[in-house]
Amino acid sequence: MHPYLNQIKAIVRKDLVTELKTRELFSSMFIFAVLVIIIFIFSVDLSIVKANEVGPGVLWVAFLFAGTMGLNRSFMLEKENGCLEGLILTPADRTAIYFGKLISNLIFLLVMEIFILPLFMIFFNVDLIAHLGPLLVVIFMGTLGFCAIGTLLSSLSSNLKTREIMLPILLYPLIVPVVIAVVKMTGQVLDGKSLGAMMNWIGLTLAFDIIYIGVSILTIDHILEE
Amino acid sequence: MTDSPDPLASPDPAIQATGIHKAFGVVQALRGISFSLDAGDFLTIFGPNGAGKTTLIKILTGLTSASGGTAKVAGFEVGNGDSRLRREIGVIAHATCLYADLSALENLVFYANMYNLENPEDRAIEAIKEVGLEGRMHDRIGTFSRGMQQRISIARAVIHDPSILFLDEPFTGLDPHGSRVLKEYLHSLHTKKRTIIMTTHDLSCGMEMGDKVAVQMKGRFALFENKDNLDTGGFEELYFETINNGN
Repeated sequence: MHPYLNQIKAIVRKDLVTELKTRELFSSMFIFAVLVIIIFIFSVDLSIVKANEVGPGVLWVAFLFAGTMGLNRSFMLEKENGCLEGLILTPADRTAIYFGKLISNLIFLLVMEIFILPLFMIFFNVDLIAHLGPLLVVIFMGTLGFCAIGTLLSSLSSNLKTREIMLPILLYPLIVPVVIAVVKMTGQVLDGKSLGAMMNWIGLTLAFDIIYIGVSILTIDHILEE
Repeated sequence: MTDSPDPLASPDPAIQATGIHKAFGVVQALRGISFSLDAGDFLTIFGPNGAGKTTLIKILTGLTSASGGTAKVAGFEVGNGDSRLRREIGVIAHATCLYADLSALENLVFYANMYNLENPEDRAIEAIKEVGLEGRMHDRIGTFSRGMQQRISIARAVIHDPSILFLDEPFTGLDPHGSRVLKEYLHSLHTKKRTIIMTTHDLSCGMEMGDKVAVQMKGRFALFENKDNLDTGGFEELYFETINNGN
């Protein structure tokens, strides 16, 4: 395997093994997402409001808030015992560290989202199975964008004392275009529209995904340096 | 590793620092440090807290950038992100750089992979055996004592067989037995002709291990001397005299 890919694989494997042993990240993200959905289900009267209209927003609020917890934890693990310094001292390219953490975060969030979908289906009484394919594509695109910029910002905020506060403050304004796009797309998918009918939103989401990853590649070197 | 210069064969110094400055805002942490070490030298740096010892180590290892001056380590310019430099150095600091939830073996296999070593698991087991902890290799690092963690941290730092080692107060928090084990292991590393820079507050231990000695004060070397030129028995007095003159 190419050394660069081997280093990315090592970081992903290390994060997965750590999570399998502790289950800290998944359990906290999952419980938080479930709580968000439960709070919304009690605050919205689904006999008046259509579930397809309010559901996508609730679903993405749950994903994003729970995901922010995961991102915060992600680089905090590296700060404990000076592990980030150990990582930076290896000959690994800084972008390999970024991509390793990005893929780990993406896997954790996608797994959490897959577990949340059935609960969302039950609570909001919407048929996700009929639209599962397009829905998963939308969720993947949105989560990729969120993790792409979130991983970069969590590496930045991990050096700050107020990291739990700073990450959302930095992240949410930047992620707005992707959130708007994926909420719109999720609503349209639940209404039975095909992905082909929402190419503008798909283009917007993919464009921002690429921009986030590009900016991260260009800046991660400076951010990881003290 | 094939394109890296052999530090022992090279006529160039293993470490060459020229006028290194570092400022944190208005605070001058380093004020023009210059020195040179040949391959195989062991430099011990003493100095009070806040003298800039850790900052100097961080600059030489590329963890932070200097505000001024230049440094070459193992023939590579420090500060331009050259990954070949990082292959040539190992760093042992107060922080162990180990993941508490992973076992000793998992930690070292991870670092072996990050250095792209062949047979990472075999190399990790070998490194754990070298520090005498093979009986605990499958245990979580979080369950280890401070001394055992420091030994695994050493195994981590030398897993890729670096030619230059940086030790930043490696004895901090160790009990006398742990210190002795660590000292013996560091001595064995030095006999393998590694260049070593160590910062410490332990005067007797530092004098015993190093063959060059520096006293750092307020971001400068107030003393830099071959140990052979010093009265080892009277060094403590000289140290405090240097410190007091510096103040």
